Amino acid sequence: MAARTDDDIAIIGWSQSPMVRATNKTETQMLLEVITGAVEHTGITRAELDFTCAGSCDYVAGQAFSFVQNIDAIGAWPPKRDSHVEMDGAWALYEAWVRLLMGDVDVALATGSGRSSTADPGTIYPMEMDPYYLAPLGVDAMTFAGLQAQALVERGAVTERQMAEIAARTRRDAKDNPFAQVSGDFDVDVLLAEDYVRSPLRRHDLPPITDGASAVVIARGDKARELCERPVWITGFAHYAEIHYPGLRDLTKAESVTLAGKAAGLDEAPIQVAELQTAFTHEEPLVASALGLGPDVEINPSGGPLAGNPIMSTGLVRIIEAAARIRDGGTHRALAHSTSGPCLQQNLVCVLEGDER
Amino acid sequence: MTTASRQATIRFPYKRSLGPVMGAFMTALTEQRFLGIRSGDRVICPPREWDPDTAADLSADDLVEVGPAGTVESWTWVAAPGAAHPLDRPFAFALIRLDGADTTLLHAVDAGAIDVMATGMRVAPRWKAERTGHITDVDAFVPGETPEGGGGAGAEEPVTMMEYDAAITYTLPITPNEARDAEWVAQGRFLGLQCPVCGRTYLGSRGYCPVDAVELGAEHEVELPQRGTITNFTIVTPVQYPGQTETDPFPRVHVLLDEHDVVLGYQNLIEVPVEEVRVGLRVQAMWDTTGDAAELEGWIPTGEADVEDPDLVNRIC
Ligand SMILES: [Zn+2]
Repeated sequence: MAARTDDDIAIIGWSQSPMVRATNKTETQMLLEVITGAVEHTGITRAELDFTCAGSCDYVAGQAFSFVQNIDAIGAWPPKRDSHVEMDGAWALYEAWVRLLMGDVDVALATGSGRSSTADPGTIYPMEMDPYYLAPLGVDAMTFAGLQAQALVERGAVTERQMAEIAARTRRDAKDNPFAQVSGDFDVDVLLAEDYVRSPLRRHDLPPITDGASAVVIARGDKARELCERPVWITGFAHYAEIHYPGLRDLTKAESVTLAGKAAGLDEAPIQVAELQTAFTHEEPLVASALGLGPDVEINPSGGPLAGNPIMSTGLVRIIEAAARIRDGGTHRALAHSTSGPCLQQNLVCVLEGDER
Repeated sequence: MTTASRQATIRFPYKRSLGPVMGAFMTALTEQRFLGIRSGDRVICPPREWDPDTAADLSADDLVEVGPAGTVESWTWVAAPGAAHPLDRPFAFALIRLDGADTTLLHAVDAGAIDVMATGMRVAPRWKAERTGHITDVDAFVPGETPEGGGGAGAEEPVTMMEYDAAITYTLPITPNEARDAEWVAQGRFLGLQCPVCGRTYLGSRGYCPVDAVELGAEHEVELPQRGTITNFTIVTPVQYPGQTETDPFPRVHVLLDEHDVVLGYQNLIEVPVEEVRVGLRVQAMWDTTGDAAELEGWIPTGEADVEDPDLVNRIC
């Protein structure tokens, strides 16, 4: 294990909101609470944040430049270096990590937030697709997932029963997750008796519609050690994108997942836990095999996105859950995955490690 | 817990230029034909301006006709179509490899029942009678080898633009602060919320102090005065657009309220000729109380002497 240097960057605090079907809070208020939660978890104040980056989506918020008012949650006076990505908060954390690599500032905050309850996700998702060939057909996230699931089932990569078992396993695991929206014990045979929503996907194969937010504080080496007894080191962080239009891709593969994993140094040492942004059941075996995860790796012990799917925050929550396993559990090395775009078009992998104990 | 909410629909009436390749594809749709584009030894349909693997420029000269029939490579059954979908009865979305193409086109298949659908099945387009050069000129694909529908001539001129008119309806919860603020306004009063940390006062609909990132609630209420001083203004010369009811130039002013450090922005100033609008003018709120709920009509001069303070104009919020 290489010794940590000041160029190593660690997660030192975090917070996530309860995952709920519909909140009566504004997005700014949700952010206010998780930012307060994250700086308190870190033991610092907002004034000590040198850089902030938010991940959110105007189409989800229902307002142009919605991220501007979200700055109110940061406490941006005196003014802060602030940035925004129209991506999941996992990509906001990626930008914050790149910013800290520059070396001139020490502490950064990344957030992800979204209220999917405010409109029919089936009308929002097409707005973000190819505007010539896809958006006018109203192709929604469930449809893309159904097309990919069908391709995987016919290739023999997964069965509908295995998919139902993934739904039952993750929601059983979610019973221990105080933030989970959907959890409990489900009988696979009962699940398989349900109708299709988008064949071969049934309701249990889909994530819930969720409102939620999350925040993560990271710091450079020495500062991380000064502020945190047990920093969770980011040893690799990478993302890759494939072509957008699904008709140009082999949907039974997820090459950008493999590339991101390699670039993040996944192969350098074994991992124990993987938190994957697999919001549809069939995506779990596809992403796990693209990452080369063996049966000894525990996948989505938090319940994953099937237990709570706050769009624009789901990926950052994966990073929080993986970090929590390292700081508070017995895990030494874990990975978190985030995805964006139709049929796993773009993928991010973050590899996390604790100090030897 | 039930929460008050308001609905808002945002329309996105986009007009998009199509460029040489997609323009040719859309034009061909009006002629009930499909075009793909040759890139190396494969044909891509729907065509793109660049090869997706190499990013090499593709030329409209390399467009070739494909289809009209094709083969389903993957599909998903939509049991309960949504408002944005092309059909209002159960149908399949499918990835269709048109004959002569090496990639698939995503479109709807009007198969009638899920049992009819299978990977490898043959489908052909059902054309709309009226075609504008749009991906929805194909109403849907249908099982079999034979195109259906259509008729009439293709576009007289090449299609260069497409319209995409989408709408999203949002239901946004009204926060407790917003609800109380509306109650106060209905009584002809201004609600303020004072930050317990920095002492700044904000309009009552706000949820937090943006400086201290502290939540504000009923315990921070203060009543704001009805008098203030104009700190800045602009004279708007109306141009006609949908919803514009003004015809003559009119002022919009910022009012700094007395006692509390609160600026109300973009307020209506009444009974003052536009050439007399000025920074420092003392004004008071005027309410229309004829209805069940009071409404702020705007601000009128108090008759007091102007405030002489060169820094006033710097107050914009
Ligand atoms: Zn304050």
